[in-house]
Amino acid sequence: MKSYSLLNVGVGGQGVIRTAQILSYAALLEDYKVRTAETHGMAQRGGSVASFLRFGTEVEGPLIPRGKTNTILAFEVSEAVRIFNYAGPETVFLINENIQIPPMIHQMGMDYPKLTEIRTFLKEVSEHIYFIEGIEIATSLGNARTMNVIMLGALIGLDVIPLKKGTLEKAIFSYLPSNLHDINKKAFETGIEKGIELRGSSND
Amino acid sequence: MIRPEFAEENPGKKIIMLGNEAIARGILEAGVVIGAGYPGTPSSEILLTLAEMQKFYPYLKLEWSVNEKVGFEVAYGGSMSNVRSVAVMKHVGVNVASDAFMTACYAGARGGMVLISADDPNCYSSQNEQDNRYFGLHALVPVFEPSTPQEAKDMIKYAFDFSEEYQSLVLFRTTTRLNHGRADVILGEVKVIDRDYGFDWDRSRWVCLPSHSRILRLRLLERLEEISNDADEFPFNSLKLSGEKINGIRYGFVAAGVPYSQLLDALNYYGIIDKVTILKLGLVYPPPKELIKKLFASSDEIIVVEELEPFLENIMKQIAFEEGYSKELTIHGKDIFPQNGEFSGEIYLENIARLIGLSYKKVPVPENMLIIPPRLPILCPGCGHRSTFYAIKQVENRMKTKFVNSSDIGCYTLAVYKPLEGIDTEVCMGGSIGLANGIAKVQSSDNPVLAILGDSTFFHSGIPALINAVFNKNNILVVILDNRSTSMTGFQDNPGTGITITNEPGTRVVLEELVKGCGVSPEKIWVVDAYKLNETIEKFEEAVKAEGVRVFISRHLCSLVESKQFRAQQKIPPSIMVDQEKCIGCMICVNNFGCQALNFNKAEKKVSIESSVCRGCKVCIDVCPQDAIYEEME
Repeated sequence: MKSYSLLNVGVGGQGVIRTAQILSYAALLEDYKVRTAETHGMAQRGGSVASFLRFGTEVEGPLIPRGKTNTILAFEVSEAVRIFNYAGPETVFLINENIQIPPMIHQMGMDYPKLTEIRTFLKEVSEHIYFIEGIEIATSLGNARTMNVIMLGALIGLDVIPLKKGTLEKAIFSYLPSNLHDINKKAFETGIEKGIELRGSSND
Repeated sequence: MIRPEFAEENPGKKIIMLGNEAIARGILEAGVVIGAGYPGTPSSEILLTLAEMQKFYPYLKLEWSVNEKVGFEVAYGGSMSNVRSVAVMKHVGVNVASDAFMTACYAGARGGMVLISADDPNCYSSQNEQDNRYFGLHALVPVFEPSTPQEAKDMIKYAFDFSEEYQSLVLFRTTTRLNHGRADVILGEVKVIDRDYGFDWDRSRWVCLPSHSRILRLRLLERLEEISNDADEFPFNSLKLSGEKINGIRYGFVAAGVPYSQLLDALNYYGIIDKVTILKLGLVYPPPKELIKKLFASSDEIIVVEELEPFLENIMKQIAFEEGYSKELTIHGKDIFPQNGEFSGEIYLENIARLIGLSYKKVPVPENMLIIPPRLPILCPGCGHRSTFYAIKQVENRMKTKFVNSSDIGCYTLAVYKPLEGIDTEVCMGGSIGLANGIAKVQSSDNPVLAILGDSTFFHSGIPALINAVFNKNNILVVILDNRSTSMTGFQDNPGTGITITNEPGTRVVLEELVKGCGVSPEKIWVVDAYKLNETIEKFEEAVKAEGVRVFISRHLCSLVESKQFRAQQKIPPSIMVDQEKCIGCMICVNNFGCQALNFNKAEKKVSIESSVCRGCKVCIDVCPQDAIYEEME
C-alpha cells in the first residue's frame, strides 16, 4: 500500500492526540512509514482539534491535501463539517453522533446547525457518510471514555483502514493500563460489529 | 519506574516519536550535559522529554530558565566549560536570547553548542510568524533544518560534533509540523563523552570588549568561510540530478525542512519525481555553492519551495548572478508560493501543476454551504483569570470609565474574546508593563492604565518594566494573574512554584516580596484569591483608585492543574446547582461571565450547570444577582 491518509477531528479533550498515537503505532507494527501532524498548545483550549495521519510505503510529509483524504474520523458532528474540504467524493466519513455546542455562539448570534442539515450537506460532499452513536454505545458498555476505541473498531468493521485487526488491538492496549484492557477489548469488538452492521448504510 | 521507549539503550529499534521527542533523543545521543530554555509552543516537549530521560541519565543538567536569554546564557556557560549544551526556545524566544547570541557567536563554541529555534508558520500558537533563518545570516552562524523526525534526531546529534569541529554555534531551526508531528524513528547509540570539564580562563576569548571583539570577529568570518567551503560535503545536503525535460523544460527544485517532504509527496502525486532535479538542503546557511552550480547547470527553471521569507530564493539569485547564470536561468519562489502562513498540502499540488502545465482539479464546493459556528479556544471552566477579568469589568462599569488594559502573552489573551473583552494590547513577553509605562505618560487620568500579565510572564521580563515604572513614576496598576503555572505551554513550573524541571525542590520566589524589592510601596500591593469574587472586586476598586505604581496580585492555582490534583487525591469538587425557581433567565452569568459550564435553556429561559464541565470554583454564585446559584451540600 503506497499511501493512506486519515484526518481525525474533534474537540480538545476528546482524545484526538491519543488516537493519533495509537494509529501511528499500529501502522509502525505493520512496517509502514508513518507521518502525523497534530494540534498542540493554544488551540487545544476547548477549541477544534485536528490530527493528520499518513502511512504507507510512499509517504514523506505529514499534511494531506484538500480533497484527498481516504478517511475522516470525527469525534464530534460539526467538526466533520468544518473540515469537509479535505474530503472528496470517495472519502469515507465515520462520525460520532456527539454534539458539543461551541461556547458563546448564541452571543455571537450563531446557531449550531440541525443534524438533518448536516446530513444533507455532507451527502453532497461524499457518498460514504457513516454515523455512529459512540458515546451511547460506550456508556452502555460501562465506560463513556471507550468511545475512541469503539470508533477505531468501527473503522475495522467498515473495512476502511488498511490495518489488521490484531495490530490495531495491540496498539490500543499498549496505550492503556492493564486494568482497562477488558473493557476496551469489549469496546473494540463492539465497534467492529457496529462497523460491519454499518456497511452499506451510508447516507441513509 | 517504567522506562519510556525514547530513553531506552536500544540502538536500531524503530519506534514512533513526536518530532520534539526525536530532537530530545538526538540531544541525548550526542552526549549533551546542559539543556536550558523557556517553555513555548511548539518547542516545549524537547526539554520535557529530556527531563523524562534525566531519570535514567542522571548526568543531564536541565532547567527551565526564567527567560530565553538566561536559558541561552546557561547553555553557553556550559559550552565555555567544555560540555555539550543546548538552548531550546520558540522563534520569538530567540529575540529575547539574541542579545547574548549575537556576541556569543564571536567567541564561538568550546563544548558543542546548539540553539534550537522552533518557528511557527501560520501562528498556531504565536504572536507572529518570523523566519529565524535570518538569525543565522545575521550572526554569521550556520543554520540546520531537518525535514523529518528521523532526520531531526540524526542531524542534531551531528550538530554537536560539527559545532566542536568548527568551534561555531549552530542554529537548529524547525517548524511546528516537524515539532508536533509523529513519525517512525530508529534509535541510535547514546554517546558518553569522556573529557575534562570546567572553565578555561581564556580572557582573550570570553571577554568580548572592543579590542578582543575586533579579533574575534575576524575568527568568526574565517569560521564561516571554512563552513561555507565544506558545505558541499554536508551530510544532510543532497542533489538528485535528472536530465529529463517536462514540456521541453528542465526543472530544478530547491527545498529544506517540512516543505521538502511535502514537495516529494507532490512530485510523487504527479509521477514526476524522477523527471526533475532536486536540491535538498539540511544546511540552509551557508549555501553549498558547488551543488548549486551543478543544479543551475542542469536546469532551465529553478523553483525554490520555502515557507515565509524568500531566504533560499535570495541566496539562489545571488549565486546565479555571481556565477553568470542570471540571464539563462529563471528562478521562481515567492512569485509562485505565498510569503505568509503554512503551506497546506494542496498549495504544493496547485502551484506545481500551474507552473509545469499539469492539470489540478480543485474539489468542488457544495452549492449550499453550511455555516459552522467557530469553536475558539477559550478560558477553561474554573479559570481564575475569568473571575479577575469579570471583577475588573465590574469596577470599570461602576466607575463609568474605560480602563486601558495593556496585556501580555499567556492564557489570559483569550480574554480578548466575548464576553470578557478584557485586554487591549498584546505584543510580547512582559510588554504589558512596558507599554503601560508609555501609555500612562499621556493618557487622561479618567482612564486608569493597567498592565495585566501572568506570573511566569512577570518573572520572564515584567520585572525590569516594573522597576522602570517605579523609577520614572509612571502611574500604572500592574495586575499579576498568579495561577502558579506556565499553563498555555503545558503547565510548566516557574520561580513562583519553586519546583524545577526535574521535579526537585528549588527555591520559591514570593511575588509580593519580589515586587516590594522592585520598589513598590507595601501599602500599594494587594493580594486576593481570584475565586473570592466580592473581595476581588472591592480590593481592585481600591487599587485602581489609588495613585502611583501599584501591584494587584490575583491568585488561584490554574484550574486544570487543580482538578488534576483533585483527581489524584480523589477529592470531589463542590457541586454547584441553579435553583430553577429563583433563576429569572436574566442571562448575566451566561452573557457577562461566560463560563462553559453555564447552559441556557432557550425554551425554559433558565440557566443550568453542566456538572461534567463545572470545576466547582463557586465564582458564578457571586455573579448571580438573584442568588439562584448555590452549592449543593451532601
